[in-house]
Amino acid sequence: MRRLLRLGDTALIALLLLPLVVALPRLGGIGGPPAAWLSWMGQVSGILGLAMMLLAAAVSLRLPGFDRPFGGLVRLWKLHHWMGFGAFILVMVHVLALALAAVPSSLDAAVATLFPPVSHGAIWLGWLAWLAMVIFLAPTFGFFGRLHYQRWKRLHLVSAAAVLLGLWHVLLLAGETWPWWLLGIAGLGAIAWRKLLSPRWSRLPYRITSVERLARGVVELVLEPEGRRMRHETGQFVYLSPLDETLTAGRGEEHPYTIASSPGDDQLRIGIKELGDASRALQSVTPGTRVLVEGPYGEFFGRRFPKRDMLWLGGGIGITPFVGGARDLASGGRSTGHVHLFYLANSPDRAYYQEELEGIAEAHESFSFTQHYSRERGRLDEAFLRQHCPNYAEREIYICGPPGMNDHLQRLLTDQGIPASRIHSEVFDFL
Amino acid sequence: MNKIAYTAFIAFLASILTLLSASALSQSGDAERDDEALDTITQDELAGHDGAESCWKAIHGRVYDVTDYIPEHPTEEEVMLEWCGRDASEGWDNKRPGVPHSPRAESRLEDYLVGRLVGEDGQPEARGDTSDAAVSGAEEVTDADRALSPAEDERLHRAMLGMPLDGHYRGVFTDRGIIQVNITFDLRDGRFESVDYRYLAYRGVDYLELEEGDELYPVMVQHRQIAERLEGEPVTRIFALYEPERMVDDIDGYSGATLRGAKVISAIRDGLNRGVYSWP
Repeated sequence: MRRLLRLGDTALIALLLLPLVVALPRLGGIGGPPAAWLSWMGQVSGILGLAMMLLAAAVSLRLPGFDRPFGGLVRLWKLHHWMGFGAFILVMVHVLALALAAVPSSLDAAVATLFPPVSHGAIWLGWLAWLAMVIFLAPTFGFFGRLHYQRWKRLHLVSAAAVLLGLWHVLLLAGETWPWWLLGIAGLGAIAWRKLLSPRWSRLPYRITSVERLARGVVELVLEPEGRRMRHETGQFVYLSPLDETLTAGRGEEHPYTIASSPGDDQLRIGIKELGDASRALQSVTPGTRVLVEGPYGEFFGRRFPKRDMLWLGGGIGITPFVGGARDLASGGRSTGHVHLFYLANSPDRAYYQEELEGIAEAHESFSFTQHYSRERGRLDEAFLRQHCPNYAEREIYICGPPGMNDHLQRLLTDQGIPASRIHSEVFDFL
Repeated sequence: MNKIAYTAFIAFLASILTLLSASALSQSGDAERDDEALDTITQDELAGHDGAESCWKAIHGRVYDVTDYIPEHPTEEEVMLEWCGRDASEGWDNKRPGVPHSPRAESRLEDYLVGRLVGEDGQPEARGDTSDAAVSGAEEVTDADRALSPAEDERLHRAMLGMPLDGHYRGVFTDRGIIQVNITFDLRDGRFESVDYRYLAYRGVDYLELEEGDELYPVMVQHRQIAERLEGEPVTRIFALYEPERMVDDIDGYSGATLRGAKVISAIRDGLNRGVYSWP
């Protein structure tokens, strides 16, 4: 999790710099009077900004497996978010720097640079691209408050227009156009795949065989494949689109949920807690109806199953990846070292899956289970950890739970001198 | 991150608005210099500044001393130097084929303004007719005897054609509503390449369909020779076709009422007039 650069990142950086490296010889030196320097800045920021925007579009490609060189889909989304932010800032630097570069000539020249006669269409295309960017980024960055998720998602499609206009702008102005074709095709291809092709091709039909109520506001859906069965690893998640006509919200919408079944299980089990309209409606989904499943994504346990023993810390609905892991252990999936799971719940009525986990712990020596109730003991502390798992500091640690719990545990563990590279967590806070 | 994005967005809008209002409020200061107030510069004066040590260029009727700017220009020096001492409007309007210099470059250019281009008579020079003066006027008339044939006067040819851009061209010669010659060619470094006929006909006979033995076949061969022999030649070479014997082996075909070299010239010049059909 904390490794700084992954394979995917390196590839992204290389692609990001490609158009700049190709264009650099044309831009001249960086020295000289302020006007020349600003003009250089303006062009470089424009090139980097657009490259960033195209790459942000490219990494929006949601394809099972594509996310792994980037450390999972959650991290890939974060990269996407940061690149979108970077592109937005750079594009504005680009405009201002070019305008300021003309100020030493005259103010009129600066204005003419930004608002030339209509015959200079390329410049106006740039403005239109910027406008499209503002339209789809304003709700993302909450300029005027937050939008409903589905409406935000539809508005975010304006990004395709921004990409097209930006690309057109640069193709008219750039000396060498091939890097732009390359990035442009990658970006537009990803959007086309995501919006046009993937809904048809990469969603697998499943049928809901039962809806098991685990606690108030928490259910486990048991799904049976109608055709091909999706293969997954423990701790991964899927996008689920329910098709039940009687749902009050979220019908046909996709939302991410963690898989709670072991990879060996023929059925797919998904734990769902009501956190929004769609997940609330799913609590009363009709058994026998169909859902579409796309995935799997993420690499919570990743490819780094350690030789070390493991410490799992799950809280709330964040217990699901560990349920999947425990079920895998129970079905004889993998036995590398010992696993100790701490289940952090508020009170007994919120400790769903508890019985099943205790059962697995009794039957399997390689798995221990400890329940912790914060209503009784307050927040989990070091003494409790040490008491039940004396060698916790030597273990590979996985955390999954609400952001507050995650922050608390990260702090607690790093205060004990545990290197951040041994602590892994995945927080779904903006999926 | 949201706050930074929002702040940057507002700062950006504010800067643009400041720039716009500052410019609107200071209109009077930077009014464009009136043409009449500019020094006059003749062709000869312009031609005197044709090197790196002093490089003047005429662009759309105004003359600029860009000597100091040459080292700063993003392209290699030769590209800039090529246009010194003459009308550089063509290069200015075609930074790359079809792409003019930016408005920003335009505004920087004004810093180097030294005057306006006038002819020998003091009247402003229009672009493209720079050498017409050479063939008008009394002096030239008295020299008419020793004037070169129009078919071989290179200076005249250049003047008549201007400076066609490199690219792919198509042109036609039609008479009484019927196409007789339709020609296609490329220019590379101002020289012909891939000269070919798309259509060649006279009085209902399609010459391109003719076979050896047909009565008019030799005429077609002569046209083929024209195309072959223009290959690699500078574009001004077409004027030699006013006297086709300069170009082809056997001109019999030209004696009758059939195709004439002038029609090929006309078709090619039609192509040049139409401008580049597609870029190379």
